[in-house]
Formats: sequence, C-alpha cells, structure tokens
Amino acid sequence: MSGLTFDPLLPWPLVAALAVLALLVALWSLWRGLRGWAWRGIAGLAAAAALAGPALESGIRSKLSDIVILLDDRSASQALPGRGEQTDAAVEELTRQLSALPDTEIRRVTVADDPDGTQIGTALTRALAAEPQTRVAGVIAVTDGLAHDAPMVPASASAPVHVLLTGQAGDWDRRLVIEEAPAYGLIGKPVTIRLRVEDQGAVPPEVAQTPARLRILLDGEEMRALDLPPGVALDLPVVPKHAGQNVVSIAFEPPEAEVPELTDRNNSAAVQIQGVRDRLRVLLVSGAPHAGERTWRNLLKSDANVDLIHFTILRPPDKMDGVPVDEMSLIAFPTQELFMERIRDFDLIIFDRYRVRGILLPQYYDNIRRYVEEGGAILVSAGPEMSSVESLNLSPLGAILPARPTGRVYDEPYLPRLTEEGQRHPVTAGLPGAPAEGSESHWGRWLRMSQVIPDPRAQVVLSGARDEPLLLLSRVGEGRVAMLTSDQVWLWGRGFEGGGPQLELLRRISHWSMQEPELEEEALLADVGGDLTVTITRRTMNVTAGPVRITRPDGETEEVALAEAGPGRFTARWTAPGPGLYRLADGDITRVLALGPAAPREFEETVASGAVLGPLAEATQGAVLRLSDGMPGLRTVREGRPAHGQGVGGPWIAITPREAASVSGMTHRPLLPGWAWLALIAGLALAGWLSEGRGRRTAAGG
Amino acid sequence: MRWPAILAALLWATALWAQDDPDPRLVRAADEVALAYIVTGDAEVDAATEAGLRGLSQVLTARTTVEPGGPIGIDPEQDDLSLLTFLYWPVTEAQAPPSPQAYVRLNHFLRSGGMILFDTRDGDIAGLGGPDGGAALQALAAPLDIPPLAPIPSDHVLTRSYYLLGDFPGRYQGREVWAEAPPAGAEAAEGVPFRNLNDGVSPVVIGGNAWAEAWAVNENGLPMFSIGSGFEGERQREMAYRFGVNLIMYVLTGNYKSDQVHVPALLERLRQEEVVQ
Repeated sequence: MSGLTFDPLLPWPLVAALAVLALLVALWSLWRGLRGWAWRGIAGLAAAAALAGPALESGIRSKLSDIVILLDDRSASQALPGRGEQTDAAVEELTRQLSALPDTEIRRVTVADDPDGTQIGTALTRALAAEPQTRVAGVIAVTDGLAHDAPMVPASASAPVHVLLTGQAGDWDRRLVIEEAPAYGLIGKPVTIRLRVEDQGAVPPEVAQTPARLRILLDGEEMRALDLPPGVALDLPVVPKHAGQNVVSIAFEPPEAEVPELTDRNNSAAVQIQGVRDRLRVLLVSGAPHAGERTWRNLLKSDANVDLIHFTILRPPDKMDGVPVDEMSLIAFPTQELFMERIRDFDLIIFDRYRVRGILLPQYYDNIRRYVEEGGAILVSAGPEMSSVESLNLSPLGAILPARPTGRVYDEPYLPRLTEEGQRHPVTAGLPGAPAEGSESHWGRWLRMSQVIPDPRAQVVLSGARDEPLLLLSRVGEGRVAMLTSDQVWLWGRGFEGGGPQLELLRRISHWSMQEPELEEEALLADVGGDLTVTITRRTMNVTAGPVRITRPDGETEEVALAEAGPGRFTARWTAPGPGLYRLADGDITRVLALGPAAPREFEETVASGAVLGPLAEATQGAVLRLSDGMPGLRTVREGRPAHGQGVGGPWIAITPREAASVSGMTHRPLLPGWAWLALIAGLALAGWLSEGRGRRTAAGG
Repeated sequence: MRWPAILAALLWATALWAQDDPDPRLVRAADEVALAYIVTGDAEVDAATEAGLRGLSQVLTARTTVEPGGPIGIDPEQDDLSLLTFLYWPVTEAQAPPSPQAYVRLNHFLRSGGMILFDTRDGDIAGLGGPDGGAALQALAAPLDIPPLAPIPSDHVLTRSYYLLGDFPGRYQGREVWAEAPPAGAEAAEGVPFRNLNDGVSPVVIGGNAWAEAWAVNENGLPMFSIGSGFEGERQREMAYRFGVNLIMYVLTGNYKSDQVHVPALLERLRQEEVVQ
C-alpha cells in the first residue's frame, strides 16, 4: 500500500518542456564538446523533477488475528464409552495450544443431537460463512465422523480442515439393517421384510464367523428364531394378523467377544405394518323378495370394500307355472358350490328371511356350522318365518344360533331400544338418535318381530316389543353369529315415523360379524398423538377397566389408571419416557406400540469413520487422524503448503496464518524537502562549472 | 311454491310425532308386501284396479316366493306411504290433483325407494292425435321429483327380472313404456349382453297399456276384461302377468338380476385365486 506519487508545482507540459530543454542543452553541449555537459543536463533534469513534486505515499495497516474454528461433536453417538473423554481432552489440548499462538482466535462450534442425526456439514458451512474467508486459518473438528448430512459438507474451504476422530482402533459393531419393509399389508397375506446383519469396524475373528441369532416377534409374541450370518440378506415373510398396526420386532443378542461391540442399540428394529383388509366377500341369501331386501343390497353394494354375491329365491321348488325355461330369467342356485366348495371364501353369510324349504341339504347346514366355528360369520335377519316350521332354527344350524323362537310373533308397533349391554356394545353404542332416558326419541317404530328365548351366552343389544330381544350377538368357536328377530329394519330407511340409522346399524352388525377390530367389544386402543404422548382407550363390556400395565423397552413396568369416558369406554393420556417398543396390557388384552424410531439414527452406524469429512480434509490439504493414535502436534505453515505431516514426536497438523490486515489511513511525504532540491540542483550546477573550469585550466596549462 | 311445501312438511312431521298406532291396513302392507293403488274416485276405475292388483297378487303367490296380501287402496291425502313399496296409479281425466302436502309424501316415497306405476290406460287411442291421458298425467305428475325419463331400453333389468320379456303389454299392446333414463356413458361390460343400467330402481314407470285391466280377475278367479281375440288375446294376458311379475320383482330386488349374470364370473374368480395361492 505504499508508492510514489507526483504533485507537480507547474502544469505537466511546462515540467516536460523544462526536461526536454535540459536534454537539448546537454546534447548541444556534447556536440560542441563542452565539458560538464552531463552535470548540467542532470541539473536541468533535477530541476524538472523538483517541479514535478515527487512524494511517497503509504497506508496505515493494522494486522488482524487469525481465526481457527474448533468444532466438537456432542451427538449421541459421541456418548459411546470413552468418546466423550477423548473429545474433552482433545478440545482442551487444542484450545491450550491455539491460545498460545500469537494473534489467533478460537471459534468454538458444538454440534448437538438433532432429530435428523448429526448435522456436522450444516454446522461447518454455517461457521465458515460467518467468518471472513481471509482470516480463517484452519478448521479442526473433533468428532466420530458419523455425520448424517453429507450433502451439506462444503466442497472446499479457504484453510486446512482437520478431522480428529474419536473412538478406538479396535472398535467394532454388529448391527441390524432393515433394507426393505412394507408400510401396508393385506391381513392374512404374507408380506416380505428384507433385512441383513452387518459387521463394521475391526470385528474380532471369533465373531465374524458366527451368525447372529435373530428373534422375531410379531405384536410381542414369538414368531420365529433363526441364525443369520452377517452380510446375507434375508427375506422374512410376515403375515399381518389384524387391521391397524402390526409391530414386528427383530432383535439379536450382542455377540460374545473379548472386546464388546460398541452398542447394542442397533441390534434391534421395529417394523410397523399397517394391516389392511382385503375385499370382503359377502354372500347374501334372501329367502324371498321383500321390501327390506333392497336395503341389504344398497348397504352392501355401496360398500367399496365388499364383493357381494347375492341369491334370492325367486321361485320355490314347489311352485311351477308351466312357462318354458327359455322364457324365464331364473338361474339355478349353485348350492353345492357355494355352501360346500367355496364357503371358506366368504367372510360373511347373511340369511335374509330365509326359509328352510328343501333347497339346502342338511349337510350344507352342517358345513355352515363348521365354517362359523372355524372363524366364519353368519347373520340371520329373520321375518315371521322364523316362528314357523320352516325356521332356520330347526335346521342343524339352529345349534349355533343365539336364540330360539317360541313360535309367537308380535304384530304390534314397538320402538327398538338399546339394552344396558347395547349401550356398551360397539355395534350399538352411540347410534345416532338412540332413545335415552329423558330425551324424546326420534327413532321410528317397527311393526313386527318374533319372540325368542336368547341363548345364555348371547348378548342382547337391542330390545323390541315388551322388551323382548331384537338384536342378539354371539360367538361360536372362532366365528360370530348375529340375529335380528325382525325383518323391518327397512322401515327406518323409508323414514316411517322419522326412520332411524338403518344403514349404520346394518353396517356395524355386518362388520362386527367379520371381526372388524374397530367394533371389538374388548379392545385396547392406543393413538399416538404428538411425539410420545399416547391416548389409551379401553373399550369393554365390563363396568370397570384398567389399570393398564405398560412394559417399557427396558423391561420395567408401570401402571396407568383409566377414567370412564362413556358407557364402556375408559381412557387415559400417557407420555412415554422415550422412544422404543412398549407393551400395553389390561388382563388378557395386550397391544404393542412402537414409539419413535426403535434404533435411532445416531446408532445406525457407530464405528468412527472419516468417510464423510475425508474429502473436505483432502481438498484443503488437511488431515484425518485418529485421536487413539495420539494427540497430533500443532504447527503453523505458509498458505498452500501441506498442512499435516509426520514429525519426530508424532503426527502434526498445521494452521496457515493468513497475515490479514486492515488499512485505516494514508500518509503523504514529499521525496525531498525544497531546500534539499535547491542544494542538489546548485551542487550539480557547481559541479558542472567546476569541471568546465578545470578543463580550461588543464588546457591552459597544457 | 316453497311456503306450502314447508308448511306441509311441518304438518307431516307433527303427524309423525303423534305416534298414533299406524293404520292396520298399512301395517299389513308392510308385513305382506301388499300391492297398493291410488284411489281415483272413479268407482269403475278403482274397482278395475283393485281387481287387477288382486289378480297379479294371485299370480305372484302361485308362481313365485312373493306372496302379497290383498291390494290396498291409498288416499295420498291421509295415508302414510312409507310402509308401501309399490303404488299403482291409474290416470283419469276427472282426478283432482293431490294437495301439496300429499305431494310432499309422494316425493318422499319416491326418494326412499318406492315406485309408482302410472297407467294412462289409453294405449288404444294414444298417439293418434286425439285426446289422450297425456295431459292428465302431466298435470298429476308435474309436482313430483321425477328424473329424466326414456323409453325402457331392451337391455333394462325390467326385461329379465323374472321372465325374459321383449315388450310390456297390458290390455293394449305396443305402446312404449317409460322409466328413468339410463345414465350417460353407460356401457356394456365385456361378455355381458346388456349394459349395467339403473343401479337403483327407477322411481316411476309410465305407460298406457291398462295393465290392471289385463290382470283383473273377479271373485271366481276369471278375467274381467277381454283382450284381443282368442288364443292371441290369452297369450297377451299371460305376457301382461309376466310384466306384472317382473315389475314387482324389480321393485323388490332392484338390480339383482344385473349382478346375477356376474355371479358365474365371480365364482370363477374365486376359483382362480385358489389356484394362484
């Protein structure tokens, strides 16, 4: 910032003219052979130079300190045994050495846990952007190198970046990797989870040979155990058993070795598969066309999840009208196929006013009974034929029906009402407009029903005329049977006396029969809201429920009391202490809940590695060194020189002082003062005169 | 138009709240799927209609699983239509249009799945340019919520809900019969000889073939009106009964016969899935 400037006393042309004149005089003197021509010429030029006013100009500079960014990683993976102390020691030593360097400032950057993992790249980019590039003399990161934001790592920096890795050379870890897991699966159909066991780091030879013993649990129940060698991908078939969350937890025990693996937190994983029902197949058998038949059809046809196969007996076997078959649109009822061969394809069989009139053989009824006992469902919507000799109750099916008719039919208007059980039962609880104490009911009445004697195991959820059972639900073996002792639910749909929630009731009855989890009487539901807050809902037919016993991932248990939120509904809000797999239980009902990631990202990989930060270090001539090999020395080198190396005392890393400075002002100093110019010119002129005079004397003397 | 309708709805609603015991005739209609007709006030027509529905009920009972009780005459001014499924409405010139309150009930009946068969009984003279039942029908039906209509296409489910029918004769033959128009864009599924039309049930069927007169029988079970001549006429009466049977099956089972044709395909699909598994 310093230089020569001119500040001419006369305009430049005059100064130039003077200089030219001086040169011409000097040349003329040379031509004339005058002695002292050189002195006079120089004197003339000096006079011109003096007139040009040469001056020295220079800036006022102040040196700026160098900045060293010291980044320490305090993420969860740095909390593995020994790494925290290593980090502390390294940071302390570096701070001491850096403070000892003149004009060096330290910028500390601490990277903490983030839900997305360790964000070293982001922190580095931010720290570099916050400092003037010309002052950054170096970056030193003390970390395990397990950054999860590789794309954010800057490509280069203006100073060497050094990475000091924590951890030991002998670190090793075996982890479980879920390569592929479906989020949804059809209930009863296998889905595939692809997983493998991976070894990382310096795996002891005795471990590398042994396979991992995997334990696989579905909803907390043992599903499979198998040995899987590391590095081999396994396609694990899992069959979702129910709608909603199916939690598959996969884990293996930490392998036995002299040096234990770094962590066992990545030895397990929980995969949540949302169970989805396949299309339900419903077989609707109407004994005769009647006013309510279209109600059933409309319900089942409008349900996008239902494939309806419908048969109506349009003509009984005992009636003939002599019309040729090719003028009729009737087809045979494929009973053998439906009730013997295909029966297990149906999720529900509805008998709608079905009369036993010799169409179905007795062995078909036996088969239907077996079908129910093995998990099927039937729903009987009975008209007055139930009280006749053609009643289904008199067939072999009668043994599993939830009530038997007395033979009496009430032909009188009555109002369907919820029984006490019905107020708790999910099929009828909360039906819109239900008649309640003290409120004016707006359900319409029905006009006919059959009197029945309920089976003691059946639940009566609706009652009709004279408080006789109207809707009965029961379980047979693994299956379910529902019975409606009136066929006049269609009056609700027609709006007779205001009607009622006919579609909703029928939908719930049929879906309950098909074991829809939302309509289970005894259910333990857990809704995960927010992060770790869970709303626990217990639905039960009992008067009391709870407390719910919660088993934490670490095996400890706690109990949560439930508060009644309505008939048959008990709820509680509970906040889990941390992510993991929780098991909720109330009596026999259990539910497994996976909260947060079971294997947090921080612990996916644990063996320290420079893979992510290495390219940056290389691009800036920095070093990736392991702290376990000893703390490197700190030096300073010039910019552009290798910033690390091996010295006598071990490896060293270097920072590059940047010599940055700022200019705060200017000084302007004439090259010579006026009197000095005068003396110079006079001296030169005198010298010229003297040399001329000496020459003449010499000539005279000669 | 709006105020009377709201008033009528209110009156109707209060009538519902009263919770009187329903009319036993209507209770019987609900229990037995009895066929009902609108009483026109013209004694001759009403008697013919009553006899016609009785004849159709007998045919249904004799041939099918539907066993209706005796027909019921309905006065839309007073009777609660929500217990009914099928209404036969003979159109006469002299008939006074129902009150707005009755139209509210009739519209509710149509919306909730009921069906009205309008019969102008003029199949012999209509379309010749002379006075026919068209004007009276328009006057009666204008306040009803009736969807766009179209002549019943040959692939309508009504042509195969019990018998296979080509036309729908009554006492007269050949007039077009109208029902709810098929939705635009309905197309035949592959391998099915007809389009899948009328997912619901057309709320009205309109024609002029005087079906009740063709169906009508006296106490002795003998036909009350002659049709055509000789064997041809009796064949036409048989076809009229078949239309009646098809119509009642259509009212009760809706588009059941439309998906019947899919059943073999569905069963076939079940079978294939078994093989795949």
